[in-house]
Amino acid sequence: MGTYILRRLILNILVLWLVATMVFLSIRVLPGNYASQQFAGANLGGVSSEAIAQAERALGLDKPMPEQYANFMGDLLTLDLGESFRTRNSTWSELRKALPYSAELGVFIILVGFSVAIPVGVISAVKQDQTPDYILRGVAISALAAPVFWTASIAVIFVLEWDLIQINVTGQPHVWSDPWGAIQWYMIPGFVGGFASTATVMRLLRSELLEVLRQDYIRTARAKGLTERTVIMRHAMRNAFLPVLTVMGLTLATLISSQIVLEQMFNIPGVGRMLFRSITLRDYPLFQGLVIVTTFVIVTTNLAVDVLYGFLDPRVRLS
Amino acid sequence: MADSTPLILGQKARSEFPIPGLALFVNFSRRKPLGGIAFVAVIVLVVTAIFAPVIARYDPNFIFKRDNPSYEVSPTLMQLAADSDIGSPVTVDSFETPSWTHWFGTDKVGHDIYARVIHGTRLSLIVGLGASAIAVSVGLLVGVASGFYRGAFDIISQRLIDALQAFPGLVLLLLLVQVAEPSVRNTVFAMGVIGVPTVTRIIRSSTLVVQSTDYVEAARSIGATNTRILWRHVVPNIFSVVLIAFSIGIGAYIIFEATISFLGVGPRGVVSWGKMVQEGRGSLDLHPWLTVFAGLAIAIVVISFNFLGDAIRDVLDPRLRGT
Repeated sequence: MGTYILRRLILNILVLWLVATMVFLSIRVLPGNYASQQFAGANLGGVSSEAIAQAERALGLDKPMPEQYANFMGDLLTLDLGESFRTRNSTWSELRKALPYSAELGVFIILVGFSVAIPVGVISAVKQDQTPDYILRGVAISALAAPVFWTASIAVIFVLEWDLIQINVTGQPHVWSDPWGAIQWYMIPGFVGGFASTATVMRLLRSELLEVLRQDYIRTARAKGLTERTVIMRHAMRNAFLPVLTVMGLTLATLISSQIVLEQMFNIPGVGRMLFRSITLRDYPLFQGLVIVTTFVIVTTNLAVDVLYGFLDPRVRLS
Repeated sequence: MADSTPLILGQKARSEFPIPGLALFVNFSRRKPLGGIAFVAVIVLVVTAIFAPVIARYDPNFIFKRDNPSYEVSPTLMQLAADSDIGSPVTVDSFETPSWTHWFGTDKVGHDIYARVIHGTRLSLIVGLGASAIAVSVGLLVGVASGFYRGAFDIISQRLIDALQAFPGLVLLLLLVQVAEPSVRNTVFAMGVIGVPTVTRIIRSSTLVVQSTDYVEAARSIGATNTRILWRHVVPNIFSVVLIAFSIGIGAYIIFEATISFLGVGPRGVVSWGKMVQEGRGSLDLHPWLTVFAGLAIAIVVISFNFLGDAIRDVLDPRLRGT
């Protein structure tokens, strides 16, 4: 077990280094940089190339690429992610502001997703090939097919039409400072994102449960005279849920993608919106920092899930 | 539905059906009715895309105009301040409600929405099929090479794939689409790249399975060369996996294209459903038809491809369920 974790950790560091390099190169491949992007809007008056060059010098963009890369890697080793070109604040402090919003929305989405996916998956498996199964699966697949931005747009109209909730757009409340305000604010993106994420989990849970329900020990449990509820909850679910746990780690990357759209739409100042803006503005340090931290969270979660899996299911040998 | 007859074009079946491939389709639909329906829907979509100019009734970029009822030849400044269009004899037919002339209404600029929804099929299908084809071709090459030859190439390519997979897909896509001008071709290419890691993973693991079978062992023991084993045994046996990987990804690429168009970085100069949703979002309460039809179109296309992909996977390789 120890060797396995150690090997995975080393692999993760390698992956992070590759991602950091990819991030460094890919953002610089984009045409233009922060300096020219800033002057692009003011181009009508004719900005002298000297002004742009001066701005580039100030941001260190005039240095040759290998030198920039070496600096970037050196800073990364000391966990220094540089400072945002736009705000001149360190990437860490930008993250400290944005991360809580994304985490709150992310948790909301996951909670909604799972509280829908688990019962639906169970019902769908227990009533296999009966009407409830068809209806629930049909709904789940539609949820997967309808793009989040569309469902979110429509949801907004319904909510506004019926005056269901009040959204405090300017306040940008946190759960700990203004719980009810925050819940109302995250309500639409949370539910829309949650529903969109149910299909994957629900379908996997259903097929795993169907597999488990055919096992001998389930027949034994039923033969003992246990109620169907106990058989499913205590015997079947425990085994069917394990693969679902693995998918949870993988859905994290998908979650970030849908958060980019939802945060952009609902003006939530989280990591997703910051990522999108940092690409458009060519804010190299901010973008690099955000992607590296996101990737770190993803690979660490995946490792944690795999290790947890080994604990929960002794049959799985980690190697 | 669950009978175990293999999906093969039998001699008997061949004589029953005059059109080649029809037997295959009938057999497939019997086992997977939803898949059969989805297949028909996909055919309808392809036909719609090809014959879009005929089906659409109007040019999607034609601007509908009508006589301006409040037209004044020489308006006073006061009148102009109240209605800036008062000086022009014609006015744009914007935000028309759905009618017999405009089945889905018109948008702000005066475009016919039905024509735009129909023409949008083209972009969606080109992007979905094109990106999936690119992802599968590259994934097949890399996956087979790393699964079959192993060694240093396998180790290096797998780490790169790990890195690509840890990178949120939409972020990578937002980067790639901005590298070159936002044309349809570049968008398709960028999306193909996003799909490569997953396809490579699937193909690599199937290659590993095929390689450890007895018949490959047998071929090797009678002295077959690597090239021969690769082409005669490995590639034909993972063909079903390739087909599954191709069909299962299409829906996701279509959503990706709609998403980046919605965010304003999609391909320029073409009709995109994602962009239509974005354009109509501001006035969704007043003119819902701007957004609703484009969104429904996305959902219908994605559902069709997802059902078809699922059915193909279940028929060809039920072990892959859940991927």
